[in-house]
Amino acid sequence: MTAVRRDSSRDAEAPPASQADSRAPVGDPEPRDWVSALGGTGPEQSTALRELHALMIRAAGHQVWRMRAALPDPSPGAVDVIVNQAADEAMTALLGKLHTFQGRSRFTTWAFKFAILQAATEVRRLQWQHREVELRDVELRPSPAHEGPELSAEGIDLAGAVARAMSRVLTPYQRRIAVALLVDGVPIDVLAERLGSSRGALYKTLHEVRTRLRAELVATGYLPVSQAGPARLPQASPISPTDHEVSPTSSAGTR
Amino acid sequence: MSQTPGPRPDVLTDPAVESLLQDTTPWLSCEECFERMDTYAEAAVHDPQHLDEAMTAHLRGCSACDEEAQSLIDLLRAS
Ligand SMILES: [Zn+2]
Repeated sequence: MTAVRRDSSRDAEAPPASQADSRAPVGDPEPRDWVSALGGTGPEQSTALRELHALMIRAAGHQVWRMRAALPDPSPGAVDVIVNQAADEAMTALLGKLHTFQGRSRFTTWAFKFAILQAATEVRRLQWQHREVELRDVELRPSPAHEGPELSAEGIDLAGAVARAMSRVLTPYQRRIAVALLVDGVPIDVLAERLGSSRGALYKTLHEVRTRLRAELVATGYLPVSQAGPARLPQASPISPTDHEVSPTSSAGTR
Repeated sequence: MSQTPGPRPDVLTDPAVESLLQDTTPWLSCEECFERMDTYAEAAVHDPQHLDEAMTAHLRGCSACDEEAQSLIDLLRAS
């Protein structure tokens, strides 16, 4: 875990995050050729850089405000520091990719996403900075204490089938990643940082996990073959939850 | 990785089951999601009928990208 690095030298430009939404309206037409201005020289470039930084402050402030409940220290001073640092880092990232802007969206929209990504990542990092992240290869069991009226024996049965499928068709690494992300709730960028990996690499692992689990649950009759879209608890389970848990259509038993 | 001080529950809750079984096809990476996020957000604001199947699937399965995309949409709506 690294200590929080803070550069408060630009605090004078930072609005309180709570006010970020109401500042600096973007306006309808693009006010400038941002790419030319930022890539130019002299006063025009300086003005463009200053205005871009204000946009980044605005978007970072918006993001930190959304996630303020996750902050260990949500005081205005601490928020200001986070917003400014995220804006600075996002601006650096954006300028490094300026040549890739193709004008498919407004420049301001394109710029906002850099600040939102940076600020969200920073808030999640701070939220977990003093928390251990454990990679657990565990055998899961259905939650015994379901909440909500929609949960039923079928839900427990499906959870049991998923738990067995995790043991059967996932590698130990895939299980550890899936448990960390989806059972223990570790944010994907936090896990990536701790593992020296990337969000994209972990998401790819998760995609493979889901593909394998869905295929297994189709094979064992818990999901319909043609099911598309988000998985839902089935209306009816192929087996009684108290039976030995092998579905009629299964070609493989449980273990 | 280190040990946690207390045991974590080894239970599968329904939200975890639903997320584990999420259909995230057609495939889209987090990097491609970020690349498309600006055009996706503008389309979401200006044309509610707009559909990007791969983005929708990715955002269903990636809570970090989903938070950031929704945040961008909200920021545009507030502009
Ligand atoms: Zn993603």
